[in-house]
Amino acid sequence: MQEGRILPPEQINKDLLNSIMSTPKWYWPAVGICSFIVLIAATVVAYMINKGLGITGLNRPVMWGFFITNFVFWIGISHAGVMLSAILRLAKAEWRRPASRAAEVLTIFSLMTAMTMPIIHTGRPWRSLYWFFPYDFARGIFPNIRSPLVWDPSAILTYLTSSVLFVFIALIPDFAILRDNTTGLKKIIYTKLAMGWQGNARQWKLQIVAGILLSALILPVFVSVHSIVSWDFGMAVSVKAWHSTVFAPYFVVGAVHSGVSAVIFVLILLRQAYGWHDYIRREHVEALCRLLIVVSTGWFYYFVMEIIFGIYGREADEVAIRTLQFTIYPWNYIMIIFIVTTYFLPIFLWSRKVWRRNLLIVSIACISVNIGMWLERYILFIPGQINKQVFTFTWANYTPSLFEGIIVLGTFALVTLLLLLFSKVMPLIPLYDIKEGDILKTEVQIGRRTVPATFRED
Amino acid sequence: MAELKTLNHHYKDMWVFPDAEDLAGLPAKATSLGKTRLLLWVTLILTVLGVVGFVMRASADGLSNYEPWGYYMAAFSFVFMVTAPAPLVSVAFRLIRSHWRRPLTRIAEIFALVGIVNFVLYIPLMLMIPEIANPNEIGHHSLDIRRTLWIQVPWGAPHFWETAAMFSLPLMSCLILLLSSTPDMSASIQYVTGAKKKLYIFLAGYWKGSKRQWLVMQAAIGALGGLYFLTLPFVQFLISTDLGMSLIAGWKDSIFPAIYTLMGFQTSLAAILIVLYVFRKWGGYERFIGASPFWSASKILLGLSLLWIYHMFAFFITFWYGRMEVEQNILNYLFVDSWFWIFILNALGSWLIPFGILVWNPVRRADWGAPLAGVFVLFGALMFNVRTFVGAFNAGREQIYDISITVVPPAVAPDIWDLFMLIGVIGLAGLVYLIGLKIFPVMNIWEIKEGAMYQKMGRLFRGNYLVLAKPE
Repeated sequence: MQEGRILPPEQINKDLLNSIMSTPKWYWPAVGICSFIVLIAATVVAYMINKGLGITGLNRPVMWGFFITNFVFWIGISHAGVMLSAILRLAKAEWRRPASRAAEVLTIFSLMTAMTMPIIHTGRPWRSLYWFFPYDFARGIFPNIRSPLVWDPSAILTYLTSSVLFVFIALIPDFAILRDNTTGLKKIIYTKLAMGWQGNARQWKLQIVAGILLSALILPVFVSVHSIVSWDFGMAVSVKAWHSTVFAPYFVVGAVHSGVSAVIFVLILLRQAYGWHDYIRREHVEALCRLLIVVSTGWFYYFVMEIIFGIYGREADEVAIRTLQFTIYPWNYIMIIFIVTTYFLPIFLWSRKVWRRNLLIVSIACISVNIGMWLERYILFIPGQINKQVFTFTWANYTPSLFEGIIVLGTFALVTLLLLLFSKVMPLIPLYDIKEGDILKTEVQIGRRTVPATFRED
Repeated sequence: MAELKTLNHHYKDMWVFPDAEDLAGLPAKATSLGKTRLLLWVTLILTVLGVVGFVMRASADGLSNYEPWGYYMAAFSFVFMVTAPAPLVSVAFRLIRSHWRRPLTRIAEIFALVGIVNFVLYIPLMLMIPEIANPNEIGHHSLDIRRTLWIQVPWGAPHFWETAAMFSLPLMSCLILLLSSTPDMSASIQYVTGAKKKLYIFLAGYWKGSKRQWLVMQAAIGALGGLYFLTLPFVQFLISTDLGMSLIAGWKDSIFPAIYTLMGFQTSLAAILIVLYVFRKWGGYERFIGASPFWSASKILLGLSLLWIYHMFAFFITFWYGRMEVEQNILNYLFVDSWFWIFILNALGSWLIPFGILVWNPVRRADWGAPLAGVFVLFGALMFNVRTFVGAFNAGREQIYDISITVVPPAVAPDIWDLFMLIGVIGLAGLVYLIGLKIFPVMNIWEIKEGAMYQKMGRLFRGNYLVLAKPE
């Protein structure tokens, strides 16, 4: 794009491998803090397994609370990877280049974190094995493959596998550069990972074809994952606020919204932390914010559909849940905060170009989106369960416990820790992608003006 | 035009680079449409048949009961679905600065004139729509007001608000057309004569092409486009619910308006690509329309076809899974039983055949691939509208205040007047579009000239590649 300067390949190698070759002063304290929080959360999980789920706020009728909200949240964050890496690669958007690796890696780590949530939520995690093996051959009790809860693990594992493959294929040229710039044990490891990469024409062609094929093939997986997660709720006829046909696209668009916002925030942090001002430029952030304006408006459309049709049916029990969500404390406040933070505040902050190029304002908008999207899942899942049964004596509120809060906080620390550890061993911005972008840059003369231009790759 | 030599694997005319001579002759060429007399007569005859069908239906059944008008509603919805989003296609691709949109923007914008037809066709439907309040005593299984998005029945609902919304669409889209074609009309004044010259002077005589005028024009198109982008899904939501979903008791489907909106974009793009192909193949515009618009738009059309099946599956599986009687009855009525074969034709046209055509890269790169898929898309959309709206109009007037549908009605075949109205509405839309092509310059002259400045072939290592300027 037009703001950057074309740097020599040696400079690009030096700058982008900086995170691996040297360690900034803030690095180990950051790792230490994240590790500490993760350790606390792991201790709380162990305590919960020992004492039982009773120490959480979960009880009849609200059986799905913080853990499932957090599960869906992290699945949502994982959708940034395919959006930025695969879809923008197929659309040949030049401004995807610095964002693609960070997005793909965030996808993998958020998927891994999300998968821990239902396992913790079982209360007795070892029983999760019964998903894969029938319980007691003599009784012939098999996992119910007609349930979306069984579709979930297959979809998520498929997405995780394909994302790992996607990241690995893209990393091979960078492993080769690391192989050539390190010594000792590191060199041995990077040599293995580089798999004999020499950078000849045939290898580059295969690498590009593999990237394009994977981009196309991962798209249906990307759509299916969050759709299947949404059907965990959408198929449930017993919870009135959940049985809605729009859940699948609503969840997918919401996932892209929260995921891309998270990636933008991560990119801004990386730019500041590692001094990558020449690589993560304001024009990239601005382009991503413009994308998010469209995505968030699409999300808002689906959200309005979901709310309107909740009331449209004129079914007393569903109208009661909507009344709870919009008028009864504390749900009414949560609803207001959610709508403002998810849509209106970010849209306002992204509405002017000068604000889209202000990294502090964009960071506030992106954090706001993720707060709002976490609250969205919370307000979607809990109220419907509160009034699930017909008998009013079964109605009860859900009050999350401190233990659940610590575990949720632990997941944020876990993803941050994994990103930090990744940045120490692998580059977070793809070197060859940046170099390719520089090669494709050119200029054309239009009248008296020299205008930036780009070669179209194919 | 300079001979294009390329070493890569594209067709020779994937990108076209009109030279100065071509561009100088474009205003004259774009304002003289050539032989369209036969097409005009055909569409006129179809329109007359449509009027006959309408008059015969009205005299036989009147306008107070909506049930006999299912095919009229299907025809209106089909034309609305295809033509209303077309101006938005132009604005959207202009906003994202895709160079390949340049030859097709005017073709898309002229569909705005058909929006006026849509509004006129909509008026009888407003007279037919049943009351929101239940006129009978509330029975055990009845609602006091039928299911509708006008939940509290505010003043003017639904007639005033829906009519106002329907009126606003052609108003905005015609303004977009007018603004976008002003520079072209101004450039073409010296090449036209008679009433057209007077019209061009009236509409575009003030245009001087100053920097300020250009900036204001583009800002106005952007603002109107944004407003249109917000209004259109709302109107599509009104049409799909008030005239469709709410006439089948118990059909509560939050994804249906989204499917309707999605199909609007799909069918609009299909129609635009078909017209673009006709211009390239037989209109003599091959020096201005390369294969690249078809290549780029075909990917979008493929994506929209896949999105169709995704949304339909999301609806189907949510309804099917819970085995609730009302949802099973709706599935039986609209998909599995009564309208099964129409649904199959719908699925073939809207998804399977376009997918089968467009999944092949060589077909996407060819100029005929996307228009061929577009023909099937339009057919599929017609089947969708017949299934949905004829189904809704014939589900039984007596059940619209019930909580759920209990009897699955049979499908209704069209009679001769239905067929006349169906072809008549489509013919009228075609007639108005052809008249629009005769009035306005058919190519977006200023955008094509701009594109000629921004695109060229350049050499990179051992290959020739397209170079795209990015002045923004």
